[in-house]
Amino acid sequence: MPEPIVVLIEDEPQIRRFLRATLTSEGYRLFEATTGADGLMQATSRQADVVIVDLGLPDMDGLEVIRRLRAWRPVPIIVLSARGQERDKVAALDAGADDYVSKPFGSGELLARIRVALRHAAGAAQGHDGRAFRVGDLEVDLMRRHVAISGVEVRLTPIEYRLLATLVTHAGKVLTHQQLLHEVWGPNHGDQAHYVRVYMAHLRSKLEAEPARPRYLRTEPGVGYRLVVD
Amino acid sequence: MTGILRIPSVSSGVVAAVVAVAAATALSWAMFPRFDRSTAIMTYLLAIVAVGARYGRLAAILTSVLGVAAFDFFFVPPYYTFAVGDAQALSTFAVMLVVGLVIGGLTAQIQRQARAATDRERETAALAAMNRDLAEATTDDALATTGARHVGEAFDAETRIVLGDTDEANETRPGSVRLPLRERDRQVGTLDVRLRHRRHLTTDGHRHLEAFAGQIAFALARIRLAAEAETARVGVETERLRNALLTSVSHDLRTPLAAITGAATTLLDGGARMDEATRRDLLDSIREETERLNRLVQNLLEMTRLESGQLRLRREWHPLEEVIGAALARFGERPVTLTIPRNLPLVPIDDVLIEQVMVNLLDNAVKYTPPGSPIRILATATDESVSVEVADSGPGLPPGAEQRVFEKFYRVDGNGLHGTGLGLAICRGIVHAHGGRIWAQNLPEGGVAFLFTLPLTGTPPPALPTDA
Repeated sequence: MPEPIVVLIEDEPQIRRFLRATLTSEGYRLFEATTGADGLMQATSRQADVVIVDLGLPDMDGLEVIRRLRAWRPVPIIVLSARGQERDKVAALDAGADDYVSKPFGSGELLARIRVALRHAAGAAQGHDGRAFRVGDLEVDLMRRHVAISGVEVRLTPIEYRLLATLVTHAGKVLTHQQLLHEVWGPNHGDQAHYVRVYMAHLRSKLEAEPARPRYLRTEPGVGYRLVVD
Repeated sequence: MTGILRIPSVSSGVVAAVVAVAAATALSWAMFPRFDRSTAIMTYLLAIVAVGARYGRLAAILTSVLGVAAFDFFFVPPYYTFAVGDAQALSTFAVMLVVGLVIGGLTAQIQRQARAATDRERETAALAAMNRDLAEATTDDALATTGARHVGEAFDAETRIVLGDTDEANETRPGSVRLPLRERDRQVGTLDVRLRHRRHLTTDGHRHLEAFAGQIAFALARIRLAAEAETARVGVETERLRNALLTSVSHDLRTPLAAITGAATTLLDGGARMDEATRRDLLDSIREETERLNRLVQNLLEMTRLESGQLRLRREWHPLEEVIGAALARFGERPVTLTIPRNLPLVPIDDVLIEQVMVNLLDNAVKYTPPGSPIRILATATDESVSVEVADSGPGLPPGAEQRVFEKFYRVDGNGLHGTGLGLAICRGIVHAHGGRIWAQNLPEGGVAFLFTLPLTGTPPPALPTDA
């Protein structure tokens, strides 16, 4: 397999310097851009496998970069953002970004996001390749509609199952409340994010040993949920 | 009421003089056969005194003239003519007239003085009543309203007070009296009075009104001075906080920066000669110190947002368990006992901010208690609110610090640790923004508990659709 191509759109030289070291040593081919316009050009001309976009670019809104990339082709997009800007993250995710990391972040976190994004882009998402999804003691088989903890089957209601199935389909990626509402309840429940929270609590009480300290179903405050993959 | 001239009094004085003279004539006529003329003179003088006392000097003079005429007509021969028979009668007229004038004048004067005394008493009482109410006013506008009401009642007048030296203040209303409200040489407002029932102000009344205006201006000055003193106090307080912030931030920034610089340069210079464990330790310290810096910056930003009023709550209905769980996920091995009832209602909160409260409280508990000692989190609910308690088993707070720990830059002395003194102040700001309360109490069994409540306000969320 050739080295995956990463296009990094980031205007801060210190961050580029640190990511250059991290990504090249991990075997990615890196192309850098300091403006949104240059980044869009590089992403298309280099046939990027992953695009990393900082939300605070000098020449154009990060959201605009995401929308134009999305209009081009479904390349995985990972957003760099600051903590305390949860609204911006949600907006970026709802505009089509795949995931985000909050500055300051460790290199391990970003690399994990990139791996998940590449895996999903390759169409090898768990549950779609015929194999069951497994993490820790949790096992979800989407073909057989079978959920088990330590080999013991767990009975879920239809909504609980749809919620879990959506998370499994996007395992490792963050999903916003809007995305989950749309996937599980359909398009007409936009302002009822508490549905998701209540059913997530039900799901945790059935799947987690300690529902308040979830091992699998992580909360990303102000943003959404993530099903962990390792 | 006071100092106001009643215009129709002239005609009633004339009527009174005529009636009084007629009555005195009738009485004297009835007594005349038995008594002599001097009795009639006394009767007329009595009438003059009576009219003078009630209707004033002009009426007394009129009564005197009419009385002399009636006396001449009825009681001085030749009777029933104004002709005068002898010189003695003429001197009687003169004396009667003079005595009448003097008595009428004196009576009227006494009456006037008595009325003036009553008026002054009422004026003083009205002024005192106004001053009492003015003392309670804390703003210019409240004071203007109170002042206008009192002046309006005292003078039975339409009254308004316009603050400042504006065009509106200087525009004249027809038929009104305008008095400037002055503080030293500066006009601070205008008192504008229009008497009802088309009356006008006497000299005394004007003086009285000036007394009211003076008191109102004085009260305005008092409020302005109090406001200036408050501004000065806030200024000093802001300055003190700014200094505390600079001291605290420069110290808290330098310590981790020194540690990072030290570790990084050590690794650069001698990293190759070190064993793996030492290198790792230095690298770990760099990571930990940057995390500390990050928390500091986060707290400073949060505090700035809270104080500038830019904090916008994004309230949604959340299960508290999830928010507490998200905060707990940021803490490592420390044993935490969680007691959260399964039927705890959804709470209308900004989850990111309440998570910050939990993180700060947990951070506090971890920092000030021995490693490995347990921390308890307990959530309970009533019909109106949900409350959360974070309790540790550390040394507790020194007496009197229970309130002060929530103040900015307050730190418990002598524990050798330093936080920014912002964490709990941020907790308080966020909880208050949610309409809740937060407090600390030392526990009888040792340790300290931090508690906060979150009210269950607003329309509860729509019920969940069926799921079967």
